[in-house]
Amino acid sequence: MAGSALRRLMAEYKQLTINPPEGIIAGPINEENFFEWEALITGPEGTCFEGGIFPAKLHFPPDYPLSPPKMEFTCEMFHPNIYADGRVCISILHAPGDDPMGYESSAERWSPVQSVEKILLSVVSMLAEPNDESGANVDAAKMWREDREQFNKIAEKLVRKTLSLE
Amino acid sequence: MKALLATVISLGLTTVVIGNAYYQKKQFYPSIVYLTNSNPSMAVMYLQAFILVLLVGKLLRKIFFGQLRPAEFEHLIERSWYAITETCLAFTVFRDDFNPKFIALFTLLLFLKAFHWLAEDRVDYMERSPVIGLLFHVRILTLLMLLAHADFYFIHHAYQFTAVKGPSVQLVFGFEYSILIIMIVNILIKYVLHAIDSRWEAPWESKAAVLLYTELAINFLKVLLYIGFVAVMVRIYTLPLFAFRPMYETMRSFKKAYNDVVLSRRAIRNMNTLYPDATPAELAAADNECIICREEMHTGAKKLPCNHIFHAACLRLWFQRQQTCPTCRLNVLRAPAPDAAAGPAGPAPPAPPLAGLAPHAAPAPPPPGPVPPPFPNMPPPPPMMAWGMPPPPPPRPASLANLTTAELQRMEGNERRNIEARLQLLREIQAMLDASVLLMQQYSTVVANLPQNNVTVSTQTETRIEELTKESPISTTQGKSEPDVVPTTSSYKQPSPVPSTSKTIVTEDTSPMQPDTTTPVDTNRDKTDVDAADELRRRRLQKFAVDK
Repeated sequence: MAGSALRRLMAEYKQLTINPPEGIIAGPINEENFFEWEALITGPEGTCFEGGIFPAKLHFPPDYPLSPPKMEFTCEMFHPNIYADGRVCISILHAPGDDPMGYESSAERWSPVQSVEKILLSVVSMLAEPNDESGANVDAAKMWREDREQFNKIAEKLVRKTLSLE
Repeated sequence: MKALLATVISLGLTTVVIGNAYYQKKQFYPSIVYLTNSNPSMAVMYLQAFILVLLVGKLLRKIFFGQLRPAEFEHLIERSWYAITETCLAFTVFRDDFNPKFIALFTLLLFLKAFHWLAEDRVDYMERSPVIGLLFHVRILTLLMLLAHADFYFIHHAYQFTAVKGPSVQLVFGFEYSILIIMIVNILIKYVLHAIDSRWEAPWESKAAVLLYTELAINFLKVLLYIGFVAVMVRIYTLPLFAFRPMYETMRSFKKAYNDVVLSRRAIRNMNTLYPDATPAELAAADNECIICREEMHTGAKKLPCNHIFHAACLRLWFQRQQTCPTCRLNVLRAPAPDAAAGPAGPAPPAPPLAGLAPHAAPAPPPPGPVPPPFPNMPPPPPMMAWGMPPPPPPRPASLANLTTAELQRMEGNERRNIEARLQLLREIQAMLDASVLLMQQYSTVVANLPQNNVTVSTQTETRIEELTKESPISTTQGKSEPDVVPTTSSYKQPSPVPSTSKTIVTEDTSPMQPDTTTPVDTNRDKTDVDAADELRRRRLQKFAVDK
């Protein structure tokens, strides 16, 4: 029997393949290494990210699921909860104990109950409803609060970019 | 591409240099002399040697590892830089015997070290790789054997050299290769564990524990070696600055390994004592899937106080990090265990002698300080249980198994203050017991007198007698006020600092006069007695209801 992290990742991959959630595709980049995944996330409908297809990468630690994976978008993003380099900053990806922004309650942190699917679904809802209290991207948070129109414009531009329309 | 270019350039340069020497001197030995005396030529030769070492390294890497994974490569580069810096630092200590042979030995050391690191990374990767072929095993085993031989040879050589010629740079080599051979042992143990694990269908649960202890032992050995080495170096040469960083890292990982072992032991202890095994029925009722590893649970599942069920092994790993339920984040150390099933308390510490007086509110956090067994929390003793009725069982301290050792200790208390308080309480209990014995005697005298007075009382004896006993302390302590019961019980309850002996004396005083005073009253107040007794019973029932 292989390591428990590997078995769990395989189980999750199987689950995601058999029963994929809407608008999300995810799996290992290379089936010889189950600790690096890539995912495609469709922008949620009715938001400024609608229609976009955003590629992201997930890095799993050797002690997954005891520690959370890391996630980063590999396309250009402009969002209050995504760092300029693409790293996603949501509480579900933070182990209890580390709190980069100092606002998260431990109830929404990582625990082994979470899964790739839940992470991706949270990211989708994060795209729909940014949390402007966390300042992963301060400019984006500010614009989201103060100049929604401009924000929407940038988002739509990004959407077109991911579809290679620009 | 770059590597190829570098190889070609260096090869070209070497050819040019050698060709030039030979062209100038025409003969073999003069050309060699010319080469070794010309610094630029020597630089080229060194470069060539370096490139050759790299090429050999690449070849061996291909043979033993195939393609390196990006993580392995990064790791290798990072460690190499540190190692090179430290080697340069080591040169400064031994600058007196600086010569080409010396450099060659250090290069070889670095070279072998790199292969140790790679082997370590590869074996760690075993656990995470979905496919492990025969080739992998052959490669790793051969490599480990070769490396072990090389290490052993160099340790032996260093020992011989030092024994014959006294301390020299060979000390450093001997020490470095000893560290490496410990590393080989560590890798080998891990490899064997992973290999055994991969043969088994079911997850091997004790593997993690074995790994933890191995890590601890290996790191301990390393720390000892480093300390010994630094001590020797300080005595013979000077402070070995180059050994400080690895020593620090080793100590840190030793500390981490130690912490891991401690946390793991705590988790295991908690699991064994606090949480019951899930029964097959419970497993069937739940999803039967362990949410941590996403596999089915058959045996070895544990139920938390919040009724969530997980594999014991998975829970242990999680509890090493956090003491919460993975599903609902209930803090499992604070939560009360399900009372009915708190049974399997394995090595749970024995209940302290005053268990009956322990706080019976389990969910409440343990007493904040080393408080003596909180007497006020004791349920009011049913008035004079020594009489007639079987005494209700003392309230059980809601499962002591719930408390951690620290909490128990706090409750038990080691300080002088606690012990004094406890002795005080014991003394009071003794006084109460003495008093009740005396009351028993009174009762028997009263009963002896009764048949002559009134026979109808017999139905009410029990309650009346209680009434009596209640009155007796009142008569002394409260100066015979109303026939109210409550004050008496409360006066017993409080850990009053009144010297206990005085109480017994007081009761003793009353005992002789009791029969005289009470028996007449008894007969007179037959009617009121019944009312009072009813009232009393009602109150007691209420009290019991509250206690429950």
